[in-house]
Amino acid sequence: MITTLPTSAPDDSPAPPPPRLGRARLYVRRFARNRPAGAGVVIFLVLFGYAAIGGHVSRWNWSDQDFLALTEPPGASHWFGTNQGGNDVFTQSAHGLQRSLVIALSVSVLTVVISAVVGAGAAYLGGRVERWTLAVIHFLLVVPAFLILALVSNRVSGDWRVLILLLTLFGWMFTARVIWSVSTSLRERDYVLMAEFMGVSRRRIVARHIIPHLGALLIVNLTLGVVTTVLSETALSFLGFGVKTPDVSLGSLLADGSVTISSAPWLFAAPAGLLVLLTVALTLIGDGLRDALDPTSTAGGHG
Amino acid sequence: MTNLVLSIRDLAVTFPSERGPVEAVRGIGLDLFAGRTLALVGESGSGKSATAASIMGLLPVGAQARGEVLLGGRDLLALDDRRMSAVRGKRIGMVFQDPLSALTPIFSVGRQVADAVRVHTRVSKAAARERAVELLGLVGISQPRRRARDFPHQFSGGMRQRVVIALAIANNPDLIIADEPTTALDVTVQAQILEVLETAKAETGAAVLLITHDLGVVAGHADEVAVMYAGRIVERAEVRELFATPAMPYTLGLLGSMPAPDAGRRLPLVPIEGEPPSPAQRLPGCPFEPRCPLARADCRDKEPALTELRPLHQVACVRAEHVAGRRPGDVFGRAEQPPVDTPAAAEAVLRVVGLSRTFPVTSGAVLRRRVGTLHAVSEVSFDVRAGETVCLVGESGSGKTTTLLEIMRLRPPESGSLEILGTDVAGSLPASERRRLRQAVQIVMQDPQAALDPRLPVFELLAEPLLAAGSGAEATRDRIAELLNLVGLPSDIVDRFPAAFSGGQRQRLTIARALATRPRLLVLDEPVSALDVSVRAGILNLLARLKAQLGLAYLVVAHDLAVVRHIADRIAVMYLGHVVEIGDAEDLFARPRHPYTQALLSAVPVPDPVRERSRERIVLRGEQPSAADLPTGCVFNDRCQRRPTLTARLQQRCADQRPSLEPVPGGTEAACHAA
Amino acid sequence: MFRYVARKAAGWLIMIILATNATFFLASWFLDPRSNYRELRPVRTDEQIAHALEPYGLSPSWSVVHRWWYWLSDVVLRFDWGHSPTGVPVNSEIPQRALVSGQLILLGTVSAVVLGIALGVYTATRQYGAVDRAGQAVSIVLFNIPTAVSALALVLGAVWLNQRFGTTVLHVAGANTPGVEGTWPTVVDRADHLVLPTLNLTLLGYVSWHLTQRALLLDALNADFVRTARATGLTRSQAIRRHALRASLIPTVTSVAFSIPAVFTGAIVTETVFGWEGMGRYFTQTISQNNVDGVVAVAAFGAAATAVGAILSDIATVALDPRVRAS
Repeated sequence: MITTLPTSAPDDSPAPPPPRLGRARLYVRRFARNRPAGAGVVIFLVLFGYAAIGGHVSRWNWSDQDFLALTEPPGASHWFGTNQGGNDVFTQSAHGLQRSLVIALSVSVLTVVISAVVGAGAAYLGGRVERWTLAVIHFLLVVPAFLILALVSNRVSGDWRVLILLLTLFGWMFTARVIWSVSTSLRERDYVLMAEFMGVSRRRIVARHIIPHLGALLIVNLTLGVVTTVLSETALSFLGFGVKTPDVSLGSLLADGSVTISSAPWLFAAPAGLLVLLTVALTLIGDGLRDALDPTSTAGGHG
Repeated sequence: MTNLVLSIRDLAVTFPSERGPVEAVRGIGLDLFAGRTLALVGESGSGKSATAASIMGLLPVGAQARGEVLLGGRDLLALDDRRMSAVRGKRIGMVFQDPLSALTPIFSVGRQVADAVRVHTRVSKAAARERAVELLGLVGISQPRRRARDFPHQFSGGMRQRVVIALAIANNPDLIIADEPTTALDVTVQAQILEVLETAKAETGAAVLLITHDLGVVAGHADEVAVMYAGRIVERAEVRELFATPAMPYTLGLLGSMPAPDAGRRLPLVPIEGEPPSPAQRLPGCPFEPRCPLARADCRDKEPALTELRPLHQVACVRAEHVAGRRPGDVFGRAEQPPVDTPAAAEAVLRVVGLSRTFPVTSGAVLRRRVGTLHAVSEVSFDVRAGETVCLVGESGSGKTTTLLEIMRLRPPESGSLEILGTDVAGSLPASERRRLRQAVQIVMQDPQAALDPRLPVFELLAEPLLAAGSGAEATRDRIAELLNLVGLPSDIVDRFPAAFSGGQRQRLTIARALATRPRLLVLDEPVSALDVSVRAGILNLLARLKAQLGLAYLVVAHDLAVVRHIADRIAVMYLGHVVEIGDAEDLFARPRHPYTQALLSAVPVPDPVRERSRERIVLRGEQPSAADLPTGCVFNDRCQRRPTLTARLQQRCADQRPSLEPVPGGTEAACHAA
Repeated sequence: MFRYVARKAAGWLIMIILATNATFFLASWFLDPRSNYRELRPVRTDEQIAHALEPYGLSPSWSVVHRWWYWLSDVVLRFDWGHSPTGVPVNSEIPQRALVSGQLILLGTVSAVVLGIALGVYTATRQYGAVDRAGQAVSIVLFNIPTAVSALALVLGAVWLNQRFGTTVLHVAGANTPGVEGTWPTVVDRADHLVLPTLNLTLLGYVSWHLTQRALLLDALNADFVRTARATGLTRSQAIRRHALRASLIPTVTSVAFSIPAVFTGAIVTETVFGWEGMGRYFTQTISQNNVDGVVAVAAFGAAATAVGAILSDIATVALDPRVRAS
């Protein structure tokens, strides 16, 4: 319905080529020019490091209880303070962050893989396969996902592995739908038609012509998928349905901290701050990737 | 004495780009007079659209225009948006290229025209609506009062363009700018729209600035012509003078490379080597120098200024005198005529009998209900023999592309039969046989950019069909080098990506790829319509050479009859999915028998002002009906220009009985009761 | 127009019915009402528990289908949504809670949409300006804050504010203060309690409207029909207002319905933090109390809220898009 005017030379110019840049180098260069994205990368790396080795750096273990220092504000021996049970907030947060990251990354990777195969496959194979796949996707979108997530994870007492499975089960539809719609426009492209006429097999066409073109979309979705998963898991754990005691995730820490919010704000501040830093950093990276890999999308917009 | 309406002095336009500012227009001057049409001719990168946009003050954000554009003494470039808005639509009206997206989808057509009136004149809503209905009638929309309530999506491309013209003339402007107004339209619709523009000009007495790349349109409708190349005007003259005695080698080349529908016996076109330069790369000397056969040493040093050669004829070329009186073939070198090899009774490479294809028309998003049938192709029969070129000609909706795709699928068609190299595709064929047939028929598509996967380098692109056919690595490498040589491309380009090549080069690549499996039949879907005019001749000549060299047969789909004239041996004319006339190219052009063929031929503009303005034209009324409801009788019945001249009994026969193809000795076969 | 809306409403009704029934089966499968009784002392035998649950249609000795039929007939014939395992009738909880949540969801959605669209329009027309850049930055941060975090942060902020002024300026708990008399004071009191939860939902919700509307309007600004509108003599801002804006609002408005499930999820957390006894809070309670009937009621409420939103946005589409009216 809506077409765009070219923003540089109005007549389309068919002529001589610009100096050839390796495609990968072009992407890296465009990404590097984006300062917020760079900041995002730095922040994410710091958080990743914290999650990985934070527990080893401190002399406390995340489940240790220091009865001499209950509900203590941040200080020399406990860098982020302690909670009512004497647990060291620094290490607990590191463990919680680790847990949340593992869940989010696994779910995101699984989701992207499933969505790509289902979405691209349905779009290319067409016909009844496509119609049924879409029907399944639409149905799952309508079902009250959060409710079911809560029900099931409550039953399994917050086993994080089951949580990964569940979140994947309810997460793949959104991306699959987007990938399906992009793939349908791709399959109409002339070069796909040509490949058919040249006798290339369908499987090869999907693998060689369709999936690589989705690459940019998949990478961006991977990054942003981590963010949405973190948010879902946090909400679930906060309400008491996701990760439960004795295990710890940022969401459950948030729930614990909410009770004593004005008397012991550090119990809230640590997980809250980490969550915000993580999600913002990943969003900046995701936006930066989108700008670098697919500058034609208007959703970006860095001047 | 005609009035001076608009005067452009030293206009220069720069655009921002990733590589720094780019000069699209580099100092041009024009004068436009009331009641006269100035045609601005140019190809990609010439800067003609940027010129139009700067007159209207509609350049995109970031672009800058310098110089003077004087309308009645006032410099339009100095006006801010608010003051310029008072001029736009009132003193200057503009018609754009793509009618399909030019109208706001959520307002009715009548509302949009009425709004255009009310922007500049204080009238009541009712009065504006009346004026809108009047204007819609003026531009040839039938039942204007009823149709004023309809929305743009309910109109075809041609009708939408009429509405755009109505918007442009709503307030009686002094100047009408038409930027490629008919490029996106079918040729018969083009003829109608050009007629509407003439009406608009007569009604308003305005000056017209017609921007186009089609010299045929220029010959028929322009009084004065300015040729633009690389951002500057390189020649300016009265239309007859320009066509008779061009002074710039570029103009001469353009004239030579334009195929003419009424040319005599088929001759190879005169190509201009190379491509038009992009605005991003400017060299110090004359921009045409790399492609000019008359270039001297000093042409590379300094760009020639526009000087007066004769009264009212200006040119920017130091070699102008050497061009005078010479023919394009003499200056640019004619390609050698390939030996005309007509085997007497060659075998049929492709035979199509009674091919039909329908599509269900559904409505509803979730539960699709079938509400009708689209008869895209009905009972099409023709064959292609070894060594000959058969052209399927028709406009959009004629079913020619669908026919091609049906053939390419190599599956038994919905009805009718399809035979490749004598083998019917319907039987159960072993896989090896099917593969052989696949390799024997290859296709070249219209848009070379879309046909090449941009993420693969040239080597992978050319290797793909070879690998699918089971060729080994060594053999593939050799064959690729051979193919590149065949199409005239250097062999060191194998690692580059399609984006690095120009349009003409990309089309050569798609041709090379199509030849990889040594096909016997090459199917081409509008092979040159997406290319610049000066580049088309080169590709057409290449195709002719390859045909002779490799003994190929061609099935070409085209809507441009001028192009068809130069390459076809036999032609089938299609309308609404039916073949209405088929026969030898010579016979068809000399003595067309079906009224649609006659109208089609008549609609193609001839690039010669004298012939173009004096010939008799047949302009069809109305629009092509939908293929979802085919009439019982002849499909062309409702628009046929011959119908009013027939007896009542014959007219009844046309309405009741669909005619079939009837041959005439020494002529073509036509499906017409009155042929 | 009525026929169009009625058709859509019928479709949504079917969807609500399907989702609710499906939830019944899921809830019956994953929740075990018997566990509520197992904590009690003296220990009850299994038969005693099953017997206790029978009048509520929750007895495990019945097949799932039997239990479903019991529940369905109660709902359809008497609009009785069942009981909790301990006998509290669901119908006694719902009206009040539905009202509370309905208020929150409505206000939260409306203010998010209005703020988001306004910001999107403003920044699209002044692309890359100061407000646009600031808006983008703020949006990126807000978009990613978990609901719990923002709610708690608001609570912290309100507590600090209250301490500074020495009086309760903003309430952080409950929907109203008990013991307030008179119409005007009640209204003010309720409004005051509404401020923070609504603010929470708004802040989190407006971002996607902002970004989507901005992108849509930017696309429309570059469209050919805007250029035609300018060519007829409209100034840039007039062309944008009359042509681009209206064309770009249509897709935004049609997607309001699809944001309601997310708003509801946000409301669950918000109600928990601010202590509002709405359907969201009920969601958490019913699951932890193994209240099958309660869970189903919550699902029905969520589906109904989505349906209402969808119908409203369909009506808005008809109002804005004359092409729909014509067909």
